[in-house]
Amino acid sequence: MSTLLDLCISTLTQGFVYALLSYGVYITYKILDFPDLTVDGSFPLGAAVTAVLLLKGINPFITLLIAMLVGALAGLVTGTIHVKLGVRDLLAGIITMTGLFSINLQIAGSNLAVERSVDTIFSIPMLQDMPLMYRKFIVSLILAVLVKLVLDWYLKTKNGLLLRAVGDNAALVTTLAKDKGIVKIQGLVIANALVALCGAVVCQEQRAFSSTMGTGQVVFGLATVIIGTTLFRKLSFFKATTAVLIGSVLYKMCIQIAISMGLPANLLKLVTAVLFLVVLVLGNRQKGAVEHA
Amino acid sequence: MKKMIALTMTTMMAVMAFTGCGGTQKTEEQNQNTNQEQNADSGEQYVIGISQYGQHASLDNCREGFLLGLEESGLVEGKDFIVDYQNAGFDDNITQQIAQSFSAQNVDLMCAIATPSATACYAAAEDKNIPVIYTAITDPVEAKLDNAPNITGTSDKLPIDGQMQFIRELQPEAKTIGILYTTSEPNSVSAVKEYQEKAEQYGFTIEALGVTQQSEVVQAADTLISKKVDCFTNLTDNNVVGVLPSILEKTNAAKIPVYGSEIEQVKLGCVASAGIEYVALGKQTGAMAAKILKGEATADDMPYETITDFQRYINPEALTNLGITVSDTVTAESIDATK
Repeated sequence: MSTLLDLCISTLTQGFVYALLSYGVYITYKILDFPDLTVDGSFPLGAAVTAVLLLKGINPFITLLIAMLVGALAGLVTGTIHVKLGVRDLLAGIITMTGLFSINLQIAGSNLAVERSVDTIFSIPMLQDMPLMYRKFIVSLILAVLVKLVLDWYLKTKNGLLLRAVGDNAALVTTLAKDKGIVKIQGLVIANALVALCGAVVCQEQRAFSSTMGTGQVVFGLATVIIGTTLFRKLSFFKATTAVLIGSVLYKMCIQIAISMGLPANLLKLVTAVLFLVVLVLGNRQKGAVEHA
Repeated sequence: MKKMIALTMTTMMAVMAFTGCGGTQKTEEQNQNTNQEQNADSGEQYVIGISQYGQHASLDNCREGFLLGLEESGLVEGKDFIVDYQNAGFDDNITQQIAQSFSAQNVDLMCAIATPSATACYAAAEDKNIPVIYTAITDPVEAKLDNAPNITGTSDKLPIDGQMQFIRELQPEAKTIGILYTTSEPNSVSAVKEYQEKAEQYGFTIEALGVTQQSEVVQAADTLISKKVDCFTNLTDNNVVGVLPSILEKTNAAKIPVYGSEIEQVKLGCVASAGIEYVALGKQTGAMAAKILKGEATADDMPYETITDFQRYINPEALTNLGITVSDTVTAESIDATK
């Protein structure tokens, strides 16, 4: 039983940590309607910066803030390339992502490992008596919920409403005498700051940076956003951010089930694809039912 | 609306129950095995979690050797220990989840094959202080796993001297050796450095070209060919070895021999290699693991080990095609990898 409990806790922890990335993808994909591929680069960027700073003995919480700033910069680059230089959204993301691969390696030098003696956000003194697994669970839960609440608050502010308007009805933003380009850039900045934050937390959790850790993260992000928002779209009291958080947990849970059942690793991606399809079809059915009614 | 909530809750509960089911079923199965085979012996049965980075001939050989090594130390699979083998399909995120499931299961020992798996297992083991034993890591120092607590293992560091000696014997006139490597792989970076330091002793110069991802490898091979290197030598670089057939296509057309870093590459068409034997490496790892399980030593007592013996492998057909004559003594002391 304790095995099962441990497994649930570590899976939930993974879900909470990666939810930070999902929030970012939610902003770009759902709110801005912008398929942002920068994610595959800004995620390891956050990790690279964090690994280097941790090894220099910087306070682990401050590294999170710095990672967010650097991630925001990556979003700014994609936004500027798209809005100011008129490059298509998909390509703008690809350009930044590709460039970041080199920049990440330049920052970290090579793949990096952080020794156990270095303090991370999971080794805070207040929880010292607790096993590490529970500390990881609590810290990641707090982070996921905290970021969600801040995001919920932000999306209700005037600025946040403008952000939502750009994705839904860009003309409206223009009629309000606001520059929709600037608003878009803002969205990308926030999204990539969150993605880099996720990379930073993963780096502290894994005590490692690897140049290839970003591969496939955007697909993961999209999957969780779609799973979350499709499954919970009818529950109006469920905020989209909550849905995304649960989507992230569900995704990690499905992979964990597949691993626990002894499914060969080569088939894991197929599980993701099938899961994706099932959720999308389910979502369409629900929509159909409403239309018929 | 209420229906929807109910539906969602049911789904989630089903998922939870499913996870539970998966876990328990497995333990029950394992218990059954134990009862069947462990009638006489009432001692503790160890659970070993093996996390392999991906499916790859050398890594498979390591795992095979690891199990043989345990057996040679007197531990019998199914009786003294059971294995939970997981393969990450070269996905870093999956290595993390595998490691965490080992930690949740409270396995007695984790065996990590290749660096990314070792890093993930080491991170997940911190909490429970589960010993981790790794293999197929070229440079444990660079990966910061040499002096780390409760982890040890074996390194598949290349016999670089042996390789250059072998190249010199097969190509007495050769001057430059070309090497392709991935800049982000610490293993490769350190191997290139060692080649550069030792090349002079054997009268070679090294022309090394770094890439950042697999798609760049073939172009980089073209560049090295155009620089007129006399031969290529491979490292254990996953990106480069992964596209070996396309490299060989180009080098064969340009009549440049490629030396492999282990037997599997010679089978694929490299002319020769002074390489380590991964089954033997795995066995050595298994013997270390057995000591930990039996309580004869802890991971902290044992520094990581390298394998000093290497074997010469040749591919006679590839050698003939490239016009390299092999002396009878070399043939006699080498293993024909194609057989």
